[in-house]
Parts: sequence; structure tokens; C-alpha cells
Amino acid sequence: MIRGGFTQGSRRRRPWTLVVALAAAAVLAAGCGSSGGSGGGSGGGGSSAPSGSTLTIADVAPFTGPDAALGPTYLVSCDASVNAINSAGGVLGHKLACKSVDTRGDPADAVPAVRQMYASTSNLALVIGCTSDEAASVVIFTANKTVSFCMTGQSEFDHVKFPYFYRLVPPDLSESYAMIWIAHSLRHYQRIALAFGNDIGSQTFIGPAIAAIKTAGQTLVANETLDLNATTFRTEAAKIVAAHPDVILTEALGPPEAAFLSEVKQLNGGKLPPIIGTSATISPDWFKSVSAAVGASTLASNFLADNLITETSGPAYQAFSKALYAEKGKVGSTGDFSTYLTAPGAVHLYDGINLAALAMIESKSTDPNVFKADIEKIGDGVPGATVVYSFAQGVAALKQGKQIRYEGPGGPTSFDAYHDSAGLFQVDTYSPQGQVKVAANIPTAQLRALGL
Amino acid sequence: MSVFAVSVFVESIGFGVVAAAVLALAAVGFTLQFAVSGVLNLAYGGVMVVAAYTTYVVNRQGIDVWVSALAGIAAGALLSLALNALVYTPFQRRGTSPIGIVIVSLGMTLILVFGTQAAAGPTNVSYSMSQGKTVTAGSIVLTVAQLAIIALSVVVMVGVHVLIRYTRLGKAMRATAANRNLARNCGIRTGRVVALTWAITGALCGLAGVVFAINSGTFGATSTDLFLVLILAAVFLGGPGEPYGAMLGALVIGLATEVSASIVVSDYKDVIAFVILLAMLATRPTGLLGARA
Repeated sequence: MIRGGFTQGSRRRRPWTLVVALAAAAVLAAGCGSSGGSGGGSGGGGSSAPSGSTLTIADVAPFTGPDAALGPTYLVSCDASVNAINSAGGVLGHKLACKSVDTRGDPADAVPAVRQMYASTSNLALVIGCTSDEAASVVIFTANKTVSFCMTGQSEFDHVKFPYFYRLVPPDLSESYAMIWIAHSLRHYQRIALAFGNDIGSQTFIGPAIAAIKTAGQTLVANETLDLNATTFRTEAAKIVAAHPDVILTEALGPPEAAFLSEVKQLNGGKLPPIIGTSATISPDWFKSVSAAVGASTLASNFLADNLITETSGPAYQAFSKALYAEKGKVGSTGDFSTYLTAPGAVHLYDGINLAALAMIESKSTDPNVFKADIEKIGDGVPGATVVYSFAQGVAALKQGKQIRYEGPGGPTSFDAYHDSAGLFQVDTYSPQGQVKVAANIPTAQLRALGL
Repeated sequence: MSVFAVSVFVESIGFGVVAAAVLALAAVGFTLQFAVSGVLNLAYGGVMVVAAYTTYVVNRQGIDVWVSALAGIAAGALLSLALNALVYTPFQRRGTSPIGIVIVSLGMTLILVFGTQAAAGPTNVSYSMSQGKTVTAGSIVLTVAQLAIIALSVVVMVGVHVLIRYTRLGKAMRATAANRNLARNCGIRTGRVVALTWAITGALCGLAGVVFAINSGTFGATSTDLFLVLILAAVFLGGPGEPYGAMLGALVIGLATEVSASIVVSDYKDVIAFVILLAMLATRPTGLLGARA
């Protein structure tokens, strides 16, 4: 014992204080990220909402924790589509409203949040969100009761039939192949390093990426997992830099990505190696945090990401842009607002909400048992259907007794037997101001050659 | 071991020292609070976050981050004083058990962290600052900012040593920690000593929060979640209530997390740190420098 220490007297700390401390810390570590949420409704499960009541759309996604940027991004899209729908007269006499349900990005925390949602929300019409972080525990609840447009790309959902599960985003393995295509065919990199977060959503990219690297004849020189609860990653960064990769493929949402890339830059003599991100890295929050850490111009000149092809002009884009910009100023400062126009969650959930709303009108019912068939019918279209690019256009066409096919800013949909509509990929980059630019399109045939 | 592996291993030692420097700043304040007031303040991480954000607000006005840090230090001191005066002391006076106080502090953590997140938003932020030039010594590569953090930590540790060994306040703190009733009967104004301890350790907590944010490069309201567990590990590894033990514990935990990541896959670095802690406590339950039972 060092003289002058504090416990050299008679006072002793009891052993149980250690147990209490560690237990409390464990609770804290597991529990921080709480709150959020708030009820959603009882709805779902095959009943129609009372006449004139407000239909609720629940944004079931992380609002706290490492992936806390996802929930607010979806909520912006939800509010945009709902306001546009309400302005166009609503759905069968109902107004729509969005609410947030915070899963904390954790499958264990998501279950009570979803249970509370069902217990406390009346007229729950739709669930959106359900990212890979929580889909494993959430989908089994929601997709059996409520029409759910999910953002998870997890392959475990590729061939599972839930009655109300819909997905307008591709499986994660497709995204992994898209990233390898960028590295291999677009930029001709040979030495690949992987740096993905330890969350479920990020980890699902690794296996398919390693397989595609092998197929493409490239070399995997490093594969580091980034603990999303940690704040520095110097040793991981040092191992990657020492492996001299041509490019780093990454997704570690939240503060870790910024910390990790700034440390890579520092250890690489002040130069950021080429980086390829997933579609989730196309978001205002991601750009804001990472550009602040490594420099906006540095990021812009060294970064590419795969992304689903989205419209950048035309009537669907115009309607989406108008609806989205009506929300500007209502959300916190998250960087360049225009990035939402190409953020996968914003685009595809906007489309999902419009599809569901039009399907309700087409079927004259808010009962998911009734209107779900019209989601596919309106999404895929029937021969001779009139193409509509917004909810308002769709309602007008339906009133004229026309068959419609909805084609939103996410492009045309084509649902398979599992309600998946995978879409096509493009390559995005950022300007130094954070605007998203399309660098290339990815040919589907070449993706297939990598393993699809 | 290949040249590549040796190089990364040596490099990781440098990173470990930086991690230990940040951890020591936090752990020493935490353990002093515990020693003198008997409160296991799990809201410590929340105070760090508030201090880091306070510094961020000042830094955004164009003021140098090291100057802005003074605001963070002041925020840490004031918030800690308020926590003790308005929350912990009233509960203690009502006879709340130590475990009850721990739960209260856990609640305060959530209030501080999510209150900050509600006010500042979920997006993480960075200080406007340069990490400075990169300094290389063999395989060890550190920035000027990281060297400054190490130097600052050493200065603070020396300052804490001088405070508790050579000042009247330090002696009063030690007496209060050893036996508050006896200290009071000897004429020590223990209430004032405890309040001063909260102010000093709060300032240390604020400084730790700022340094933590500088070291991370970017931070958010929930950034200290895991760090608080590391603080607890360092404190209990060194011996709860032992400031020198906390310094030693911080060094062991800091080095263990970084060096283990260089030897085995990085997924296990925190696992290894806590295996060391458990092994240590199994053989020496009072910690490295704690008094033997």
C-alpha cells in the first residue's frame, strides 16, 4: 500500500461494492441508449381502423446508440410522405401520422419497445424501419401483424415468407458484391482491407465480401472488427495501415467511423487511403461526422459508396423532393439536407408508405389482409396500368377508375415471392459540400459474376 | 513474430500509453470521489459528456480548444458540486443505502446522457482543432495532441500527489476518507472537505471529458458508455479509493486493451482487459494497492 493512500486507515470497502459496481456498469453498458420509442398502436392483425381516425406509421429503428442517425432519417422521410398524403386528402377519410419507436439498435431492447408500441398505439397501419440491428427480433412480431417495410438486408430474410414483410432494399450480400465490384472493376484495386462495426447490420457484409474478394482474384490483407462502443481504434487502424491495402471497405455507423478513419489517416502519413462504404454511409449524419474528422475535401476525393439507383430528375423525383424539402428546418442540423434525397432509407421508405397508402385506397380497406395484395399489384403494375409518380397522382387516377402502377424516386419495383424488390446499384460519391453525386452504374450481369 | 507484427505491437504500446493517460485522468477523480464521500458515482461518465459538449459550444465560437477546455472543467466542477449537494447528500441524509445511492447515480447518468442527447441531437461532433504534427519514435507514432494529453496527465497526477500528500486539504481529505466521524470530532469541517473534493474531482472529470473527446476525435452523448466501465475497471484493479492504485490500474487497462488488440483479433481487446481484472481480483480482492483485509 502506498503511504498517503486513502484506505490505509481502519475503513474498508466491503466486497459487495465491487459486485454492485460491476453489475451496475453492466446494466449501464447494456441499457444506455434507452428511452425513445413511444407507443405505436395496437393495430395490425387484420382489422380496419375506425372511420375518421388517424392512422399511425411507426418508425421502428435506432434513435439512440451507435446507429442513432438511422431512425431520424427514416422519420424525415415518413413525415414527408405523410404530409404529402394528408395534403392530398388522406387515406379513406383517415389522416396519417408518424411516430418513433426507439430500438436502440439492439435486438434485445427492440422487443419491449415493439411490445409497448402494440400495447399503446391505436390504428397502427404500417411499420417502417426494422434495420438489420433489430430485424431479427422485431420482424417476427411486426411482419405477422402489420405491413412492414423493412430496411434490413440480412440474408436470413431472403427466403422466408412473412405475410406482411416487404423490402425495397437488396440483401446485404448484394451490397457486398457491389462494393467488391467498385474495388475490382471500377478502380482495379487488388489489396483489400475490411473494417466493419461489430453490430449485426455491419457484420453481415463480411462473409459475402470475403467470398467475392476470392472470386474476383483479389487479396484480403486485413479484416478488423470495430467495437461500436469504443472511442478509439488506433491499434486496429495501425494493423490495417501496416497491411498496405489499396482500399478499405467499411461500415461502422456513428462516431466510430469518424474516429477510425481519422486514425487511419494519421497513421498513414496524413493521407486517407481510398475508402468504399455501404449505402448506409450515404447519409447527412455520416458525411457530417466523418468530414469533420478527416476533412471534407479529403473525404470527397477518397470515398465511394454503393447505393441503390434512385431518380435524380423526373416527376417522381420532383414530387419526392418537394415533399422532403417541406420538412427542412423541422429536423435538427444534420448537414446537407439534400443528402436525404439519395439516402436509401429516405427514398425507399417514402416509396413504401406511398405504395401502402395507395393500396389501401385501391382496396378500400385499411385491413392489411385486404390491402396487402394491392401493394404488389400497384408496385409491379398490371398490363395497361397508368404509371403514377406520386400519391396525389395515384389517387387522381384511381378516382378515374384506372389501374395504376406506382413508380417513385426509388425506381420501378418488382416484388418476388418473398415480397423483396432488390433494385439496381450505382456508385455514389460526395462533393466537398456533402452533396451526393453519381459516379457510375453497376451492371447487374457483372454483379452476378461476383456471386449473385 | 514477423517484423510487421512487432512493429504493430510496439506501436500499440504507444497507443496504450495515450489510452492510459486519458483513463488515469478520469479514474483518479472517480476514486477520490468514492474515497472521500463514499458515493460510487456512476453519473461520472454523464458529467464527462456534459463537460465535453460545453467545451464544444465554446470551441465553436472560434476559441482554441485548450482554452475552451476551461469551460468544460468549470462545467464539470459545478455539475459535480450540484450533484453532490442536490442529489447524493440529501439521499445520504435520509439514510439511503450505498446500493440505493448507486441506483440513484445510475438514474442521474441516464438523465445527463439522454438530456444531453435530446439537447444536442444524436449526431456526433468534433472539436475544431488540429491534432498537430505526427511524431515518430521507432515504430511508435503519436500526434502532438496525443503527446500533450500524456504530458497533461502526468502533470495532473503529480498535482494530485502533491495535493493529497503535502497540503492541509489533502490531509483533511485523507482523514475524512478514513473515518468521517473521527475527522469531524478532531475539528475537520468534513462537509466543506467533501464539497471541495466534489469540486476538485468534478474539475478532473470535466478535464477527462474534454481530453477524452480530443483523443477520440469525435464524440456523442453516449460515447462514454463503455469508457465508464473501463474507469470502474481501473479503479477496482488499483483498489477502490486508492488514487495511486487508479493511476496504476489505468496504465494496466490502457496497455492491455491496445496491446491485446495488436496480438489477437481486436474483437477480444475488451474481453482480455476484463479477464485481467477478474484474475487480479480473484487473487487480490482489494486491488493492486488496496489495503489487505
